[in-house]
Amino acid sequence: MSVLAMKRVLICSTKQNRKGILETLQRAGAVEIVRNDALQDEIFTRQDTSSAKAIFQKNASLVNQAIGILEEHAPEQKGMLDSLAGRKELTVAEYERKVKDRDESIAACNEIIALEKEYAEALADVPKLEAQLVALEPWLNYDLPLDYPGTKKTSVFVGTLPGYQTLADVTTKLAELAPEVENVEVQLISQTPQLTYVFIVCLRRDAEAISDALHKMNFAKPPLEKLNPKEATEQITREIEKSKKKAEEVSLKIAAFVPRRDDFKFASDYFTMRVDKYEVLGGLDQSNHTFLLEGYVPAVKAKKLEDLITTKFDAVVEFSDPTEEEDTPVLLKNNGFTAPVETVVESYSLPSKGEIDPSFLVSLFYYVLFGMMLGDAGYGLIIALATGICLLKFKGMEKGMKKTLTMFFFCGVSTAIWGVIFGSFFGDTVNVVASTFFNRPDVTVKALWFEPINEPMRMMAFCFLVGLIHLFTGLGAKLYELLKAGKVLDAIYDVVFWYMLVGGAVIYLLSMPMITNMLAITWLMPANVAKIASYVAIVGAIGIILTGGRDSKNWGIRIAKGLYSFYGITSYLSDVLSYSRLLALGLATSVIASVFNKMGSMGGSGIVGVIMFILVFLVGQTLNLLINLLGAYVHTNRLQFVEFFGKFYEGGGRAFEPFTENTKYFKIKEDM
Amino acid sequence: MGNSGMFWALLGAATAAMLAGMGSSIGVGKAGQAAAGVCSEDPTKFSKVLIMQLLPGTQGIYGLLIAFITLSQTGILGGAGSEISLVKGLLYFAACLPMGLVGLSSGKRQGEAAVASIGLVAKKPDQFGKAMIFPAMVETYAILALLISILAIFGVGSLAI
Repeated sequence: MSVLAMKRVLICSTKQNRKGILETLQRAGAVEIVRNDALQDEIFTRQDTSSAKAIFQKNASLVNQAIGILEEHAPEQKGMLDSLAGRKELTVAEYERKVKDRDESIAACNEIIALEKEYAEALADVPKLEAQLVALEPWLNYDLPLDYPGTKKTSVFVGTLPGYQTLADVTTKLAELAPEVENVEVQLISQTPQLTYVFIVCLRRDAEAISDALHKMNFAKPPLEKLNPKEATEQITREIEKSKKKAEEVSLKIAAFVPRRDDFKFASDYFTMRVDKYEVLGGLDQSNHTFLLEGYVPAVKAKKLEDLITTKFDAVVEFSDPTEEEDTPVLLKNNGFTAPVETVVESYSLPSKGEIDPSFLVSLFYYVLFGMMLGDAGYGLIIALATGICLLKFKGMEKGMKKTLTMFFFCGVSTAIWGVIFGSFFGDTVNVVASTFFNRPDVTVKALWFEPINEPMRMMAFCFLVGLIHLFTGLGAKLYELLKAGKVLDAIYDVVFWYMLVGGAVIYLLSMPMITNMLAITWLMPANVAKIASYVAIVGAIGIILTGGRDSKNWGIRIAKGLYSFYGITSYLSDVLSYSRLLALGLATSVIASVFNKMGSMGGSGIVGVIMFILVFLVGQTLNLLINLLGAYVHTNRLQFVEFFGKFYEGGGRAFEPFTENTKYFKIKEDM
Repeated sequence: MGNSGMFWALLGAATAAMLAGMGSSIGVGKAGQAAAGVCSEDPTKFSKVLIMQLLPGTQGIYGLLIAFITLSQTGILGGAGSEISLVKGLLYFAACLPMGLVGLSSGKRQGEAAVASIGLVAKKPDQFGKAMIFPAMVETYAILALLISILAIFGVGSLAI
């Protein structure tokens, strides 16, 4: 339930064991390897591995490219949830067998990439040809080659005129611009709003005049074609078909590699691991015959690591405790209830040296706060069932995903419990269904405690109470940290005085009818208790003013600083008020659910009404669940990060990053 | 002026839904542009940036919520349209204002914060948790406004004027 203690480990062995030890460490994934520059001298030097690394990197990207191409031509059948299944497991023996195929895989991948090039080349001309087809389409009615010049006595002009023009338009304009020409024949081939396609015949002697006239009319010649448009179209279509057929054949050839997809995936993983290994290798200190490896290992795994290495290899394994100044990495270890929220703590910051692991405290409140914000039995059951089934079905799930799903499972359970307490099952669905379709408006889900929507002020008071407990727990954590560090006076000054001030003030406020009326609390704090509470608060306040600025020697400055830290009481006020979001988001869930139910029930009680209700119910409730799930998640995190952590937790630790198989598809088992 | 109280109540509901909806649409729109940009570089970040984009969307929902509570309290929705006095109608209108106005401005600002957070996720995907908190800070004020509007509407509903 805490931050794992780390040991510094030093492994020394002969060079012939280098490969074996590194591979064993990589599979075990329990050691973070560090470079120790102090060890370098004339005897121990480092090897330059960058060129070997570059080759592996190139191979890895080659294989990945081939996998991508294969996926394009023959997509892998994948269910929506398959991504939860995690990496496939391989035994060491299977691994050794597969390693032998790696060169063949590389060759095959090169083939795939070459085929892809062929495929792209085959299709390269298609867009151009298709554009030609489109350009030819308006000419399809014309049965001469487009570059037909005319006969001995006549000249032919084929081309386009801008805009939509009728036959009369064209002939009148021609007559206007070339009045001396008597015999000219104009035919329209086709018209679009942008262009008019024309065929003009005239006597050869008039050709120049007509040409000039057409020039003035912005006449444009078509793309030259020896064939007539119909034939040209057919030819181009044949060419396109040929290209596509060829591409298809190539595509089939690529798809023929599908049975080897797993080999490629393995090769991808293999080369990625090699890259990592050479990265580590480059950091090792090596003499002519031996090498040294330094790193961190969780203390609980130290013994196992020693056994694993020394039984297999001739090696010396030494452990030592990390010093205070060292930047020791942090790894958290918690029980099944708390571990899921480690991801939340990690996304804030890991505990720095000397800080406690807040995960347990966070888990105590996380599920509760989340459940209050969503607060619906129906939604809670859906979340718990969905995540529970996924967790049961996919045993080999990756650790991070498993933690997240488990967290939402607990959140779902909590949501369902709060839903029962506040009498909400898909909002007011039960009541709406009973009153709309069965004419029984008296049927409702009874709240175990009370319904926030009917007594919002009571709910608000409850939210503030939860907030106070949350904040005081945070303060308690700070007390624990200070006492553990032996700073008893600091503990009194910075924690106990605040407990006295805030706690006393709250009890005193509860004796004021104005406050209790507002919060709809029916009882009043007895006057004598309130009096004692007020004294406690005053002592606390004086204590804070006197000690808040204890760093300063000068009493004037010290009191001024003390007054300033007393002003921090306002932050407690805003912190507590911040918990009103529990009420607001809880109300939002139930009110939006009832909005959808009301919309759904507008169709009446007939068959149409039932169908409409079901449709609106499914769509609306899904939407509401998703929106409020996001809201509850975000704001639970916020309450933990800002209000709770603000009281005691800073973080700043560095995560433990073991040398491990950073693979995508396979996981090799090494018992450790 | 037979039932002008009803008019003011409806105007309040409409204001809450409209202004908060406008705020959210501006915010979600801005964040969407940034999210699409990130996806064009790295489509695998889709789910992360989508969540970021949705964060400024809650104001619109809160606005809808306030509008709906007002409509059902006044009986405009549900058919039992009782008479509402002018004073009560104006009070409903006033009760709706916090959600509308704060929804508008916070939706916009939260969108801007979401854009910045999307940039953060694009560069450092592992900082998702922190990136999500920045826009959520802005939302606090929308939640406070929502709370006041809800409490005020329920309060006005129980007043005998």
